[in-house]
Amino acid sequence: MVKVESTLCSQEIVEKKTDLSEAARIHYLTPENTEFALTEGKLLSVRVDGELYPVVYLHCSFPHSNKRMFISVRTSENQEVGMVKSLDEFPVDIVRLLDEQIHMRYFAPIITKVINIHEEFGYSYWEAETTAGHLQFTVRRGGGNVKMVSSVKVLITDLDGNRFLIEDVNQLSEKEYRMVEMSL
Amino acid sequence: MIKKNMKTLPEELKGFINQSGLQEEKILYWVNCDRGIDGGFVDTYVILTEEALYRLSNGQTFQQEKTFKGFVSKTVNKDLKPLEMNQLKIERIGIDEIHSIQVVNLIASGMLVIKAPNERAFASFTNGNMARAVKLESIFSKLKKNESIQFQKEWGEEEDAAACPHCGMIYPEKGRPVCPKCLKRHAIFTRLLGFARSYKKSIFFIVLLMLLNSATGLAIPYFQGTILFDQALGGTGIFAGKIALVVGIIIFLRTLSLLFGALFGTMNAKLAANIVFDLKTNIFSAMQRLSLSFFQKKQTGQLMTRVNNDANELQHFFIDGIPYFIVNAMNIVGITIILLIMDWKLTLICLLPMPFVILLIRWVFPKLWRLGWRRHRRVSILNSIISDTVQSARIVKAFGKESVEIDRFQKANLTFSDVEQKFNKMNSTIFPIINLITQIGGILIWAFGGWRVMHGDLSFGEIMSFVTYIYMLFGPIQFMNNIAGWWSNCMSAAQRIFEVQDAVPDVSEKEDAVHLEKMRGEIRASHVGFCYEPNKPILKDVSLHAKPGQMIGVVGPSGAGKSTLVNLISRLYDVTDGEILLDGINVKDLTAESLRKHIGIVSQEVYVFMGTVAENIAYGNPECSVEEIIYAAKIANAHDFIEKLPDGYDTMIGTGGYSLSGGEKQRISIARAVLHDPNILILDEATASLDTETELQIQEALESLVHGRTTIAIAHRLSTLRNAHYLYVLDQGKVVEEGTHEELMKLNGMYKGMVQKHEDALKMKEVI
Ligand SMILES: Nc1ncnc2c1ncn2[C@@H]1O[C@H](COP(=O)(O)OP(=O)(O)O)[C@@H](O)[C@H]1O
Ligand SMILES: [Mg+2]
Repeated sequence: MVKVESTLCSQEIVEKKTDLSEAARIHYLTPENTEFALTEGKLLSVRVDGELYPVVYLHCSFPHSNKRMFISVRTSENQEVGMVKSLDEFPVDIVRLLDEQIHMRYFAPIITKVINIHEEFGYSYWEAETTAGHLQFTVRRGGGNVKMVSSVKVLITDLDGNRFLIEDVNQLSEKEYRMVEMSL
Repeated sequence: MIKKNMKTLPEELKGFINQSGLQEEKILYWVNCDRGIDGGFVDTYVILTEEALYRLSNGQTFQQEKTFKGFVSKTVNKDLKPLEMNQLKIERIGIDEIHSIQVVNLIASGMLVIKAPNERAFASFTNGNMARAVKLESIFSKLKKNESIQFQKEWGEEEDAAACPHCGMIYPEKGRPVCPKCLKRHAIFTRLLGFARSYKKSIFFIVLLMLLNSATGLAIPYFQGTILFDQALGGTGIFAGKIALVVGIIIFLRTLSLLFGALFGTMNAKLAANIVFDLKTNIFSAMQRLSLSFFQKKQTGQLMTRVNNDANELQHFFIDGIPYFIVNAMNIVGITIILLIMDWKLTLICLLPMPFVILLIRWVFPKLWRLGWRRHRRVSILNSIISDTVQSARIVKAFGKESVEIDRFQKANLTFSDVEQKFNKMNSTIFPIINLITQIGGILIWAFGGWRVMHGDLSFGEIMSFVTYIYMLFGPIQFMNNIAGWWSNCMSAAQRIFEVQDAVPDVSEKEDAVHLEKMRGEIRASHVGFCYEPNKPILKDVSLHAKPGQMIGVVGPSGAGKSTLVNLISRLYDVTDGEILLDGINVKDLTAESLRKHIGIVSQEVYVFMGTVAENIAYGNPECSVEEIIYAAKIANAHDFIEKLPDGYDTMIGTGGYSLSGGEKQRISIARAVLHDPNILILDEATASLDTETELQIQEALESLVHGRTTIAIAHRLSTLRNAHYLYVLDQGKVVEEGTHEELMKLNGMYKGMVQKHEDALKMKEVI
């Protein structure tokens, strides 16, 4: 969707787009109408057009292809307060705040070094160095538990649904890549 | 690691709690919150007592190591530091200060948010602790409401963190006490051989024929070498000069050997087919036992194909693997003995290159295997693109995306052929090298053997026999080397098959379950609550009553939980709260068979299994007659289209077979229910994928079917429900309205709105 938009140019399509967004009635949050703040309890609150939402959470529409675009701001009852089209519209300190909140929600250890992947009877046992320390976890084979979510990024989901990421498969050594490849 | 999954608090923590005056008896519940709120892994405990909520943490220090469920590290807990007591920080918040505790779902983890009085992120945990956190939330709310907390029950209800007694690994799948680590291949093999037990006689003959085949085969080189050259041609011994006789014997032996080989081959193929047939029958009957959720999880088509493929692989192994393994083993032993008897020194010399060959193969095979896997993956990608495009041809066309699809295919195809080439190149360079090395053995014999012949230690005939035997040895050895990999592949295939066979249904029958021969068909659901995943309730406090023979309508927006409700009635899942009674008996106390026999479902998601149309209709009642199948099809309005198919009721449908339209599949599943003839009929948007005209036709059939049965009908089109005795309106998992059609119309609520919308839509249609 992101890509399509950037290649749109003909007048006709642009018009159609506006129609669609009108119909969808998305409320965009901009620095002008929105005030984000961190609460004492380390949660995010937002004031939109004067109305205060004491606790909101950020949901990325494209958590894999682009975390910084189309962020849905929702209450804990899953009501959408509005959408942030692009993080960069906001001043730096707010961006930092939102980034932290996104990180809180989407936190997944990033694998920096695959030490060993050992396969047995439909399960693979992973041992890796990650940004969150030395981890060992078990992945059920097949069913898309290890999958490419972009051209370079690999998402690994373990038995409990815990997530681990390889940011760029090209950064892996030949040996690591071979091990990962066999589980894809 | 193992410690963390235990139901009791870690020892160190207990000591600490006692020191800090927090008596253990007062503890209601605790959760290990292993995730830092800002990321990273920590070791925090949240403990709920009758008076306060405690948070024990060692500050902001992240753990350097973490082992998740299912993994047993070889360096067990060696480096794991115990909780450092002196650094432990304890925080206490009195129950009175806390308004509420809420579990917030994050991605792959969760967070406890407390309101005291403002919201505050209290602790965070990974998915594995979600169930406990949710429990803490519910215990707290009970505590707040001064409800009694059933101590023992709350603790005992904990999921069994059953671990393998051998290696301590947590069973990776809940409710399936199979440890993939300790499950040994030879055990699978033995189990597989168990299927051969009923064919003892043929196995005896097959082995006998194998022996004869080997024996005759082994005698030939002796006749060809020693006897032909040394005796017949050399003019010594009993066969001196009798060339024709010797040649005759050789030809006779060869024919005999061939004959034995052919005989055991055919007998064996038959045996293997029988064994695999037994295996498949076994699995398919095991599948019937399993609940729908098993199929929902595994996707029927894929599962069936996989089982079929695995079974074929095993069949292949039975025909070409095991028997040749035995033959080759016999040959190796036989030949080695003969060689050693003939000349042990020469034997040892020519076996010299063997270790090199084996080393080379060991080195090359993993590479080849990896390339093979890469190729396999590319092929599957290619195939899925093809099937995708074919299946969605209409959509692709409608959106004008043909060129995009072609590009996609082109790209996949290119990478495939690239991998394919690499694989072939490897294949074609490595084998000549292996052969070359093997040949060296032959050359060595000629060199040393020739030398000994010249010295008169050995006759020319003997060396001829010797060389032939040596060459006969290489084949079996290579085979043995290959079979190791093949064997472990086949054992994985067998394991996958047994997995289906061993799969434990989500809901299991009680040991003293009641079997109901007859059922009146009274349904009563009281205060039913249900969630598929912890903390995501789908049904909340739903009550419903259907008298025998009544037709009950359930309406509501999609996603309201209507299908979930009927799945609970037929016990595809178990309720989380409340109970469901059929004829006054809790469904949990009934046998699966009585449920299956008396409840028929025509669901919104139609399942078509791989098999013929007739088999699909007869699914549930395999022993019914052909007429019954046709009657059922006729009632369901399926007969006409089935007759139109070239292969009629024998048309293969399902994965890889003839593809039916959604409406056609739906009619087949209605026919299935008609044939099933249950006392309780559940129609879950049974006519949703049919056009109005067909729907009207089937409506009549269904009305006759509904007569005299308790029916629960879920429908989008409200006109289908006009005959219902009583209606329930479901929204977001709750019953929001209930009553007869008239009563609900008077209410002027959600139901009336839906009816009006429906009528408007109909009017629109008329206008068009
Ligand atoms: N097998 C499942 N696992 C998890 N969630 C499910 C499953 N089946 C249905 N749900 C969820 O339960 C909710 C109710 O679904 P369902 O009962 O099918 O609704 P309805 O039939 O009223 O349209 C939906 O939000 C759906 O996403
Ligand atoms: Mg439904």
